[in-house]
Amino acid sequence: MPRKPIEITEKIEYLSILDENANVDTKLEPKLDNDTLKKMYRFMLLGRRTDERMLKMQRTGRLGTFPQASGHEAVSIGSVSAIEKSDWHIPAYRELAGMLYRGWSLEKIILYWNGYEEGAVPPKGVNDLPYCVPVASQLLHAAGVGMAMNIKGDKKVALTYFGDGSSSEGDFHEALNFASVFKAPVIFVCQNNQYAISVPLSKQMNCKTLAQRAVAYGMPGIKVDGNDVLAMYVATKEAVDRAKAGGGPTLIEGLTYRFTPHTTADDPKRYRSEEESKEWFGKEPLTRFAKYLQNKGVMTAKDLEEMEAEVDAEIRAGIERSETLSKSEELMNPLAMFDHLYSTETEHLKEQKEELRQYLEHKKKGKKQQNHTAHPEVSSAK
Amino acid sequence: MSQDFLLPDLGEGIHEAEIIAIKVKVGQSVKEDDILFEVETDKAVVEVPSPFTGTVEAIHVKEGETAKTGCNMITIGSGSGDAKAPAKEEKKAEKVADTKTQILTPVGKASEANGGNGKTAPAPTAAPAQTAANSQSPAHHVNRDIPVPAAPAVRALARELKVDLYDVRPSGPHGRVMKEDVRSYAAGALESRVGSGSGSGSSSAVATSLRPAQPAISLHDKYGGGDDKADKTSGGSSMPSMQSTPSNLPDFSKQGEVERVPLRSIRKKIAQAMMKSWTTIPHVTTFDEADITGLNATLKSAEKSFAEKTGSRLTLTAVVIKAVVSALQKYPQFNSSLDDEKSEIIFKKYYNIGIAVATEKGLIVPVIHNADQKSLTQIAIELQDIANKTRAGKVELEKLQGGTFTITNIGAIGGTNMSPMINHPECAILGMARGADKPIVRNGNIEIGTILPLALSFDHRLADGAEAAYFVRHIINHLEHPLNFILEN
Repeated sequence: MPRKPIEITEKIEYLSILDENANVDTKLEPKLDNDTLKKMYRFMLLGRRTDERMLKMQRTGRLGTFPQASGHEAVSIGSVSAIEKSDWHIPAYRELAGMLYRGWSLEKIILYWNGYEEGAVPPKGVNDLPYCVPVASQLLHAAGVGMAMNIKGDKKVALTYFGDGSSSEGDFHEALNFASVFKAPVIFVCQNNQYAISVPLSKQMNCKTLAQRAVAYGMPGIKVDGNDVLAMYVATKEAVDRAKAGGGPTLIEGLTYRFTPHTTADDPKRYRSEEESKEWFGKEPLTRFAKYLQNKGVMTAKDLEEMEAEVDAEIRAGIERSETLSKSEELMNPLAMFDHLYSTETEHLKEQKEELRQYLEHKKKGKKQQNHTAHPEVSSAK
Repeated sequence: MSQDFLLPDLGEGIHEAEIIAIKVKVGQSVKEDDILFEVETDKAVVEVPSPFTGTVEAIHVKEGETAKTGCNMITIGSGSGDAKAPAKEEKKAEKVADTKTQILTPVGKASEANGGNGKTAPAPTAAPAQTAANSQSPAHHVNRDIPVPAAPAVRALARELKVDLYDVRPSGPHGRVMKEDVRSYAAGALESRVGSGSGSGSSSAVATSLRPAQPAISLHDKYGGGDDKADKTSGGSSMPSMQSTPSNLPDFSKQGEVERVPLRSIRKKIAQAMMKSWTTIPHVTTFDEADITGLNATLKSAEKSFAEKTGSRLTLTAVVIKAVVSALQKYPQFNSSLDDEKSEIIFKKYYNIGIAVATEKGLIVPVIHNADQKSLTQIAIELQDIANKTRAGKVELEKLQGGTFTITNIGAIGGTNMSPMINHPECAILGMARGADKPIVRNGNIEIGTILPLALSFDHRLADGAEAAYFVRHIINHLEHPLNFILEN
């Protein structure tokens, strides 16, 4: 019965391939063709510009509160580009770029943040779950999806995301533990932007890295420069290959920074210093990737400019479609809220739906009799 | 074609915003995304961009005002054409309101069930709403068959204050009752405006205690209806208030050009703080003089070496801070505050000395904390540091809090003496005027000496004239005989 040390041999690596000055480590550089590289950049850009446009919409009353995603593009795109369409993409709420990459339309994104449940319907041809706002809950969905695939014998992976704040939630522990015990093919990607709203990383955990938590669950973990899209790709690709070969889950920590408030209702000036923000703006993910593409001859300055214009036009068209849709009779019909929970309507829902229908009729009549100025809802439904 | 821009909810459940700056002028052409306003909500300062491209036709709000969501902020015309199609215009404006309603106020439906006219706050013609007193706010909820729209926290507050929500005039969107509505109703302030006499007489004492924690109320509410005197006279707002004066003012513009500037930011806070000090503290000021001939010479002789050693100036104020701390230790009532409600005097066992600093924007009082534990050198260095930071607008928030006594020094400018006003809720303030060479009588001879006039204003509820005279004498003894600093330890 001696007292002796138990050897824990796992080492946590840090991976960086493309640094902030666009110097590239050619030994580690992934072999991606030009079209893929261009596509990756295009969706990072589309994500960034959409995020910026959405903030302007929110500030002018055209969009509800939403969590901004600027700065998180490399973590999102680097990882999402390493999975197949048939794999599962299970986002949190800062994976705007990745969702657009997966085929979510701009109008759906905008509808979603304007409170239309139609915005949560995933596009056809991919295995995606919608945005998930309750922190860390999506990790359990991912663990479950992964376990189900094992049972069904599906050779796919589930890629899911969470923030540094989520890592302190019980859901995080349960998800990682289950996934590891059952060798579920899940890749847990942490968008470590160093702040859970205003709580800094130093108050979130007392560890060197977030990635080292993988050790406790018995899975590989790696810390990656989260503003380096190439490193994120390489780390995810390794994890995907391992998972598909039956190696179980992986934890990837992408260290990045939120260039914006937490949501539109937040003021980061109250808890982050200007110097710190400035330092991180210098490590921004798009600039270095654009330089890399130019240095490599994949895109010219002119190509980049043209892409900006193209993306801008695409966003404007998407917003217009969304705003037309949001006024359409179909989307403005409150009765539709009963339609999506069950595949067949249950008795009690039928009853409630009928009650609401009668109430709406009654209201419409009342309005006409009183000759009131029509309520916005009624007027736009006509 | 003109389009109105209504203030949206800029965060989550934000219902108003203060206009910090207006970035455009009437007649100016703006492009979509150009910044129109800078506004401050409870949560953040945000820039509001223009949703349209065109020419600014009218700006409906002023800097310093508080606008509610749904308030018409600005009208922008589409460039060349003037307002040709008013019908269409209105429709457009309404559409903006529509989107807003859908997105931001899901509880809006409640107002319909209300029996009143469904359209309330976001009507495009709504005047900039400022306070709960806004005359455009809808009538209170009379139909008792239908619940009053109010958030759970508001309901809880109403229960606590024993307020019937049906009696309260709502100021929120779609007839929603807000916390302020309940509070002002409970305080009886709204009573006179509504003209209904029911159900609030008992709760004014509770409301008074809540009042200071309530930042969004107007000055009128703050000083006019909330304090003891007003409650006793029971006639509602009989106290002279700052807000009621403008109507009594003559038309100054008849005499020549005038400019009206909104009272805001630091100026507004000073106005509020001074009003509170002057109306709640019975001030008495005692005057005296210190012969600082010797001290002055000592300071001058030490000036250079001190500056070389520390990079800071050794000033008279620094010495006065030390003398004041010593006096406060001997006469603790000058370091106390009065808790009116509990009828208790709070003696503070720490010595945080505030220093009044004049800045471009107005008077700010940074504090030297625990001055009793700091050496004269430390105080001199800190004094210069916080004064510089304050003037540059870079002083940390915690350096502006926690003062127990204040010193104000106008000596650098001039003044033979002054009558300073107490920095509420402190007990006293020491004013230093100009130390100047004057003829004085020493041992029967007229000699030239440096005389520093001092003035101590104090709260006569906490201290008396004799104590104040002793207190100032104690300071003077230290300034005239610096050896006292050493002897007392």
